[in-house]
Amino acid sequence: MFRTTPLVATAAFAVLGLALTGCTAAAEAPAATNAAVTDTLAAATITVYTSEPQAKIDAVVAAFNEVQPDVTVEVFRAGTGDLTARIESERATGDVQADILLAADAPTFEKYKADDLLLAYSPSDVDALNQDVVDPDGFYVGTRIIPTVIAYNTNAIDAPPTSWQELTDAEYADKITMPNPDVSGAAAFNAAVWLDEPALGEDWLEALAANNPVIADSNGPVSQAVATGTQPVGIVVDYLARELKAAGSPIDISYPSEGVPYVSQPVGIFASTDEAEASEAFVDFLVSEAGQSLAVEQSYLPVRSDVGTPEGAPSMDDIEILTPDLQVISDTQAEAVERFNELFN
Amino acid sequence: MSSSTNTGTRQQGPVDTDRALPHGHGTPSPTRSFLSRRRGDGVDVLRLALWLAVAGVILLPLSAIVLLATSNNHLPLLLSGDVATAGLNSLVSSLASAAGAVVIGTVLAVLLDRSDLRGRKTLRLFALTPLLVPPFVGAIAWIGIAGPTGPANVAFTQWFGSPLWNIYGGDGVIFLLTVHSYPVAYIIISAALRRVPSDLEQAARIGGASALRAVTGITLPLLRPAMLSAFTLVAVGNLADFGIPSIIGLPERYVTLSTLVYRYIQSGTVDKPLEVVATIGVVLLVIAAIAMVVDAIVSRSRWELDASASPPQLLQLGKSRMLVTGLTWIVILAVTFLPLLALLSQALLPAPGVPLTWENLTLDNIVSATTAKGTITGATTSVTLSLLAGVICTALGLAIGTVVTRTRARSNPALRTIAMLPQAIPGLVIAVGWLIVAPSIGLFNTPWLILCAYVMSFVAIVVQSVSAPLRSTPLTAEEAARISGAGRLRALFDISWRMAVPAAIAGGTLVVLTAVRELTISVLLLAPGSQTLGVNIFSLQQAGAYNAASALSLIVTVVGLAGLGLTARQPR
Repeated sequence: MFRTTPLVATAAFAVLGLALTGCTAAAEAPAATNAAVTDTLAAATITVYTSEPQAKIDAVVAAFNEVQPDVTVEVFRAGTGDLTARIESERATGDVQADILLAADAPTFEKYKADDLLLAYSPSDVDALNQDVVDPDGFYVGTRIIPTVIAYNTNAIDAPPTSWQELTDAEYADKITMPNPDVSGAAAFNAAVWLDEPALGEDWLEALAANNPVIADSNGPVSQAVATGTQPVGIVVDYLARELKAAGSPIDISYPSEGVPYVSQPVGIFASTDEAEASEAFVDFLVSEAGQSLAVEQSYLPVRSDVGTPEGAPSMDDIEILTPDLQVISDTQAEAVERFNELFN
Repeated sequence: MSSSTNTGTRQQGPVDTDRALPHGHGTPSPTRSFLSRRRGDGVDVLRLALWLAVAGVILLPLSAIVLLATSNNHLPLLLSGDVATAGLNSLVSSLASAAGAVVIGTVLAVLLDRSDLRGRKTLRLFALTPLLVPPFVGAIAWIGIAGPTGPANVAFTQWFGSPLWNIYGGDGVIFLLTVHSYPVAYIIISAALRRVPSDLEQAARIGGASALRAVTGITLPLLRPAMLSAFTLVAVGNLADFGIPSIIGLPERYVTLSTLVYRYIQSGTVDKPLEVVATIGVVLLVIAAIAMVVDAIVSRSRWELDASASPPQLLQLGKSRMLVTGLTWIVILAVTFLPLLALLSQALLPAPGVPLTWENLTLDNIVSATTAKGTITGATTSVTLSLLAGVICTALGLAIGTVVTRTRARSNPALRTIAMLPQAIPGLVIAVGWLIVAPSIGLFNTPWLILCAYVMSFVAIVVQSVSAPLRSTPLTAEEAARISGAGRLRALFDISWRMAVPAAIAGGTLVVLTAVRELTISVLLLAPGSQTLGVNIFSLQQAGAYNAASALSLIVTVVGLAGLGLTARQPR
């Protein structure tokens, strides 16, 4: 038996070594210093989970670091669904590993609020903000107005539809594309808002379904399909269409007369944070004049009125906005998605 | 790949040790009687080591998923119509696409590796391109070709009032899954074909059989184990695919289990979405386990081939050479070149919908895609992780594949099944499993976590690649080695292991190619601030930078093809 020991050891070592190569790295310890300056915060590292496009969140972090150079912001960017999955997995074994969540819509945050996951914090100049996006309980605040609008291909459509109602006309049969509420959080939210809106409601959704729209994956493919003319009319978030137009695509936007549902990409701080002060500074920055000017530069509609609107977008006063009771939307969203899936089957 | 050559030489060590210390089996001393009866305890230790490795990389996260799934009873939800329909769709699409992939893979293997088809080397490269294009990018490219406003469909609608073929829906999902998985089947079958001696075919030809008859009567039956391996691997792997059913299937409400997983996570329509999703993962595990049992039953009968003494003889296509050459070129170019052209035209245009004219062409996307901050880090991370995953999977998969096909033990089917199971689970569920165990093993937010998950998901590719040739290799060579005094482990290393090395290298290459553009696992397991290529492309896509995303996918594909071209040139 002893004769084979070296052999045994080598074989075991080879295989185990291979299997465990990946399993021995130590976690990096965050750098900690205590050089406090009077008007800037001490060095700290905060982690942000966000669904913002990478380039945009990079720009936000860079601008924030001009104000708070010693706060390091680590960004984990993923789609809303992936963020939900990651947060839920982390909760399964302990605390959420992020300090800040910047994503999705108010109902998502309502759920986390109900689970006591969020830290109560109202940004410093909360009164300057559009009060529709501010949580009355002070757990989260919207950072952009992201309305869902009608986008159309300017090569294929001469007289664009100006209302949601018009989309049910037979002339748009097989020409419409919209995001899937199973995949897109904004689309799920919209479904609930449309059903809740007396002027539209179930009758309208039924009539829309009769026009046989293509239910694309998420907002991205919808705007792409409209720009290329695959389906010349799309129900999609406005900034994607605006950016494509700026890049030269034959696409334009119509803000429907009945009003547009919008999500507000809220930001909230997780109660488990160790860096409350730095996190609060980041939230403050997002809704500050500087932060909102940057949002406008990035083609978003802002949550405050003193920074204008993006190039090519109408002024906020000219856009009819649907402001439903968020509690109702939170409560009915699952049902609305279910109904949507029945109708568009 | 040099990696696997290393693997080969690394195993030299134990073998030499073995030689230096000849076994005393047959020595009838009472103290050694146990040993002499068992003979070759080295194999048992190897098996134990493999079990430990499998426990660490596969069973640990799997049990996290199963625990999560069973923490509450979600079976009532699973019995609802949605899950049943999605399950049926998953089953049908994966089986149909696997059948298609195996048929195409076999035809290609015979034509490209065994016949005198013109331009086989170039075609071989083209045939592999679908492997390099991320499925979600391929799906979008195909919508441009065969979507409702694709050129052919528009023309048909104008002439006949209805489109030729609309890619949306179940048939499109099956078509695209087939397109994206036939290269896997081709690689596995072609590795096995290299071991089929052409003497047999020649004997048939001498006996008066036509070329076609020799192939169908002799070669194809001998390839059956490889075809079965490829079928199981592709079918089980396609169960978990997310990109294609989500982009092609959902518009027509063709829901599969992997897209249903996203629905539950994303739309907040169920309580405890993670548990529900884990439950669906377990359902897929069960389906995969059943597939493995069927695979084991079907493959029980074995074919044994002696190694060929003569160099492989090319199959002469004769009169039909031009016809077959033309047809093959057209089909392969249609399937591989069309989406590449779609990608290229998008990569060169500033925005979607801009007409394709000379003045509109721009290199901006290619420049911005290659110089963006994330791209370089993403490429470095992806290449490093996928090469490491390739090396580890090659070694581990070769060892598992050899042990389970060339030795007898009651635990073999279990080991093999466990190695295969992760293939069937959507990346999202695998990632959730690792996220749950990560804090307790100290890997949270490290790239090693992604590496572990890659190894877990992809080791099956190598196991399946090597088991095909091994199943059809006679045990006589090993018996000869044993008679000459080699130990059990020694015989395993020197005979089986070596014979399986080409297949293992092919499998390892597949692992690298699959991992380098992997999306659904990486996206959840990335540490803040880090990137992989798949995630880069997906992020660009989501940010509305479709043309930059196309540019990056095109670059990945072209670089990958160049890499493949280089490996293909190396002597086999």
